[in-house]
Amino acid sequence: MRLLVIEDDPLIARSLEQALTPLGNTVDVFTHHAQAREALQSGQFDLVLLDLGLPDGNGLTLLAELRQRGDTTPVLILTARDGIDARVEGLDLGADDYLAKPFSLAELEARVRALLRRSQQRADNRLTFGPLAFDAASGVATLNEQVLDLPRRELLLLEGLLLHAGSITPRETLENRLFGFGDVGPNALEVYISRLRKRLDGSGLRIRTFRGLGYRLEEASL
Amino acid sequence: MSIRRVALVWLLGAMAPSLAWADNPLIVEAALDREVAAPLLDAFEAAHPHIQLTFRDRSTLEVDARVADADDPPDVVISSAMPWQMSRVNEGYAQRLDSPAAQAWPEWAKWRDEVFGFTFEPIVMAYRLDLSRHMMPPKTHADMHTLLTQHRETLRDKVTTYSPSRSGVGYSLFQQDARYTTRFWDLVTAMGAADTNLEANTRSMLEGLSEGRYWLGYNLLGSYAMVWAQSHPEVIVQVPQDYSLVMMRMAFIHRDAPHPAAARAFLDFLLGREGQRVIAGETPLFSVRSDVVGPYTAQRLRDQVGERLYPIPLNASLLAFVDPSRRTAFMDRWQREFRRLSQPAPAQGAAITEPRIDKSPKR
Amino acid sequence: MIEVDGTLKSRLAFWLLATVSALGVLLLVEAYFSSQRAAERAYDSQLEAAALTIAEAIQWEKGQPVVEIPSAALQILATRHQERVFYAVLDADGHTVSGNLDLGISPDWRRRVSSQPTWLNDSYHGTQWRLYGRELDSAGWETQDPVQIWVGHTMSGRDALTETLFEHAVTRFVVMVLLAGILMLLAMRVALAPMRRLRHQLRQRDADDMRPLETRVPEEMREMAETLDSLFTRQREGREALLRFTADASHQLKTPLAGLQTTSELALKSDSPDAWRQALTEVHGSAGRTSRLASQLLSLARLRHAVEASATSRIDAMALLHETTFDWAQRDVSQAHDIGLAPLPAAPQYIQGEAWALRELLGNLIDNALRYTPPGSVITLGAVSHAQMLELYIEDDGPGVSPETLEHLHRPFERGGRQDTEGSGLGLAIVDSIVRRHEARMQVESAEKGGLRVRLLFPYLTRHEER
Repeated sequence: MRLLVIEDDPLIARSLEQALTPLGNTVDVFTHHAQAREALQSGQFDLVLLDLGLPDGNGLTLLAELRQRGDTTPVLILTARDGIDARVEGLDLGADDYLAKPFSLAELEARVRALLRRSQQRADNRLTFGPLAFDAASGVATLNEQVLDLPRRELLLLEGLLLHAGSITPRETLENRLFGFGDVGPNALEVYISRLRKRLDGSGLRIRTFRGLGYRLEEASL
Repeated sequence: MSIRRVALVWLLGAMAPSLAWADNPLIVEAALDREVAAPLLDAFEAAHPHIQLTFRDRSTLEVDARVADADDPPDVVISSAMPWQMSRVNEGYAQRLDSPAAQAWPEWAKWRDEVFGFTFEPIVMAYRLDLSRHMMPPKTHADMHTLLTQHRETLRDKVTTYSPSRSGVGYSLFQQDARYTTRFWDLVTAMGAADTNLEANTRSMLEGLSEGRYWLGYNLLGSYAMVWAQSHPEVIVQVPQDYSLVMMRMAFIHRDAPHPAAARAFLDFLLGREGQRVIAGETPLFSVRSDVVGPYTAQRLRDQVGERLYPIPLNASLLAFVDPSRRTAFMDRWQREFRRLSQPAPAQGAAITEPRIDKSPKR
Repeated sequence: MIEVDGTLKSRLAFWLLATVSALGVLLLVEAYFSSQRAAERAYDSQLEAAALTIAEAIQWEKGQPVVEIPSAALQILATRHQERVFYAVLDADGHTVSGNLDLGISPDWRRRVSSQPTWLNDSYHGTQWRLYGRELDSAGWETQDPVQIWVGHTMSGRDALTETLFEHAVTRFVVMVLLAGILMLLAMRVALAPMRRLRHQLRQRDADDMRPLETRVPEEMREMAETLDSLFTRQREGREALLRFTADASHQLKTPLAGLQTTSELALKSDSPDAWRQALTEVHGSAGRTSRLASQLLSLARLRHAVEASATSRIDAMALLHETTFDWAQRDVSQAHDIGLAPLPAAPQYIQGEAWALRELLGNLIDNALRYTPPGSVITLGAVSHAQMLELYIEDDGPGVSPETLEHLHRPFERGGRQDTEGSGLGLAIVDSIVRRHEARMQVESAEKGGLRVRLLFPYLTRHEER
């Protein structure tokens, strides 16, 4: 993967480079918009990490230019400003995610991974998370390359969780997916979750419950 | 005059046939002798060649009757019968004249800016030279009374004055006399006692004087008398020294004047410097304006006679003179006083000359 | 934003003008009619005098009235305006004894005059006439039939007098208005002088001069001056508070920075990789705390000193609660805890507020809960709909705090009596500010399970407050 980091603070820029390179990425770092703009116009990147506060202009302008060109490269905005307005504006202009400084490197890595995975999925129409994979075209789920023979609702549930793998899938989303928009009892979903949990037992993956919020497919080590 | 006018008309017509002079007629009904007014009319025609002037010389009563003629109203009405003129104006027969000349006209010689007194004619006594061979000619009204009383027989049938019933001017003058002094009635009694002859106009009186029929005339129009005296040396004109009435000819534009523009031009001429200059210089009508010079001006008359000129006031009080009942009362008294000392059964004289045929001369 | 809305002068002038104009129109109408009445009275009395003069001249001869119209009567009638005149003396049958014009005195008029003298307006040949009629009863040895005397004249004198009187009234009025206008201008100058003085003084002030005003103002301006003074006072206090706060904040920031400095200095002197590692761990933790402290200070400063009127709007508190909890549940810092949402009321619950502040509020409460409870603690957010209030709560099953500490938990830099856990204690102070901004109440109490329960009570958005 080829990442473009636009960040003027040398300390942060070096940290980013050092943190992201070991994940198997090539990282180009620019400290000015003008250089970054040139690089974006000439090269192909898989992810852009964009600092909004650069000495030669607002990062949002660069983002807007990028999207106007029809470039759908995922963009993760980094900023010291955590005002909701800047955040909304950034997302409106087509940023894919937003991370306020200070952030922990672990969180950054998780976000980057998620964005890269999403970009990958868009590319090959396959959902994967660790040993788990789902081919949306054929409707076949595999765990450690073994085909999982799942009933329709469990398959739908698995796909729903995989779509948001690494982050919480809202309960309402899963309920709608499984039962349509009709009224269902509070425990109906829980039944299918526990069935799926059993199937994933020992695979290194687990489904964590967030009370009142939803479920997250995550690696068991977390 | 008429030859001049014809010549002028012919000349204009030849020179400019398109000139609309024929469309500019002007009809003036006047109680004013044409001979006396001739210079004035000539001057007007010279100044306004495009106006075709028709000047009708009539008696005061005729003029008054013409005013009310609804079918053929005149443009301008001129008369010396001041109360009748005033009455017509009061009835609304006049129209207002708003010209600089009218504005400048003295207040005492106009009323409502509708009627204007444009002459200043003293009322005089006139006597034949024969008189002075018998007695001192009168200089005042008192002299006149004294003469009539002391020389009644000598003067019997030799005195003449206006008939108040047949002459509007005469009536007005007697009314005015009566207003100034009650002794006037003594004079009337004295005149009646002397079998005074009553005439309808000044001309008749002057003719009588020249012919020798009359020796003494009372209340003659000074304007006519003065002209007459110039050509008749036997007649002497005396402006009364105690007081002298002054009569003004009054002119107004008829309300229904068919040619109002020409009428205004005529009146402006009468009141203007030029017309008044002609009046002062070429007629004995006397100019009212103080800014013109000539033998006949009010100013010059004042200088000669002094301040004892009493112009008949041009105001609403004149209207009382034409009040029918007042006129009747006045005429009754006149006849009473006139007959008081005359013979009870006169074969001829005042009583006979004053038959009760009097109707209001107005209507 | 100051919008200039005309000048006081033009405003005063406008109202003065409007009042004077309205009043003036009334006054002038009144003046016109009173002029007319005055002219009428003056000339009517002339008519009366003329009629009396004629009456004097009436005599009876053999039972018949006879009159010799006196010139004086006509002179009186004509007036100095040379009116056209009318007179008529009528006998008991209405026949004219004497008269000059036929104005057509109607039987009706004659009847009216027989009871009392009467004035009339009449039109004759397009001219307006004023007529007066009175009846004369003879006084004498013999009783005679009454006669009526009618007199009249045209009205140019009346019109001229009316005009003159009215002109005088108008002139007086105009002069009065002009004088009043000039006086008003002078009065405005004098009256507005204190305002100019105040403006001058304010303009000459230094930007940071917050001393009370020293000026003389009239009673009407006292309130404005006092308001200005209190504004200065508030600004002075605000500035002082800001200075105090900045001093506190910089002290707060200096402390961890000093720790960082000493720790790293010691590590640099050491040759032991173990010592380096330990120092780096400390530095990492301290840096995290310091940056959190900085962002909290910023929030607090923003809350306390944001001057701009914040844009409040109608907010569904349930959606906001859900969204914020969801956001925090995903965060790295929350992974050791069990953050969850209790079942919420199904319907949206609207309150008036600022979304960012409410997120900040909930975020701080969650953050606090995360920091002051041991890993594995259960943190639950929820909402309860009361009759007039909406309650949002967050509770944990951590150790809680003592009742006496509950009292001053919301003061800045108070850490609930604990020095062991990380954090500056700013969280609850921020929460407190936001709560007050929303006219809400906050209650901190011990939860049933032993931990802390923070309840936020928001007033519902009532119908008339909705925009």
